[in-house]
Amino acid sequence: MSSPASLAPAHGHELEQNKFWIFVQIAMLLAVITGLELVTVYLPFMRWLLFSVLVVLSTVKFMFVIFYFMHLRWDRAFCTILFFIGLFLAAATMWALLRLFGAEASKPLPVTMADPPAAVTRIA
Amino acid sequence: MSSDAAAATIDHHFDPTTSTGIPNKKILMWAFLASDCMFFGCLISTHLIYRLHPPPGTLPARQVFSIELTSFSTFILLMSSLMMALAVNAIQKGNLRSMRWSLLTTIFFGCIFLGCQVYEFRNFVYEKHLTITNSILGSTFFTLTGTHGLHVLVGVIWLSGMLLYSFTGRLTEKQAIDVESMGLYWHFVDIVWIVIFTAVYLLEYI
Repeated sequence: MSSPASLAPAHGHELEQNKFWIFVQIAMLLAVITGLELVTVYLPFMRWLLFSVLVVLSTVKFMFVIFYFMHLRWDRAFCTILFFIGLFLAAATMWALLRLFGAEASKPLPVTMADPPAAVTRIA
Repeated sequence: MSSDAAAATIDHHFDPTTSTGIPNKKILMWAFLASDCMFFGCLISTHLIYRLHPPPGTLPARQVFSIELTSFSTFILLMSSLMMALAVNAIQKGNLRSMRWSLLTTIFFGCIFLGCQVYEFRNFVYEKHLTITNSILGSTFFTLTGTHGLHVLVGVIWLSGMLLYSFTGRLTEKQAIDVESMGLYWHFVDIVWIVIFTAVYLLEYI
């Protein structure tokens, strides 16, 4: 890795020096956002609004961690694409499952003693 | 090549020896993390699905959870991520001493997080009578957060191993990719918790 082909430009070294303060500032920002999330759940606003705010805040935290702490901002785009493929598949699976099981027809039927399952009837 | 000179010349975001220009270890870790996203996505979905249709008689999650403790755990994990990022930054500059202190702090924060989780689990089981077998909430909650806790435990063991390895004198800035790969894993554990904190805990309070 120390071959001449891998020599970094001069500004690269300055960037490495500045990263320390970038990381500290981002960590402080993440802590503040976590505090905001905690306050948000106690606000007397509409549920959909609070839900949206929480989703946005956690997405911001998520993006800051992956692009700065995990270096995606400075790495090749291939790493971002690779990770986002997995992330997209996970999000799509979650969306599909929640849509499927969130439907009215997916609600579990109430079980009463007067209507036991077939297997129980057979044993009895 | 001295430490300082190496730090000034090595580009840690480019590896000319691979066809992609990315170190193979880094690609391997990103591919693993992408697959782990799907794993946690399914666990979180399962929990949310059962929370959409809770069976009659289910204990309200708000009565079980302690949002103050979970917020503290979240803060601790975020700070551990900062220390991990600083550890990677230090080894990339060849500053072994700084990397060791940062790793040690990361391990310390990881242990605090695990301690909080053990306390939370004990509280749920013995005080709130919520176990993995007596309700759907317990099954999905303990499976999800327990799997995450296991990831944190693996991370702490890995960090400890790397810390010990650094004392052998074989860890230099040229092996920074080993610390960086470990850092990617640790930050992933953090981002999963960011999602769990919102989806599992905070949404119960609105």
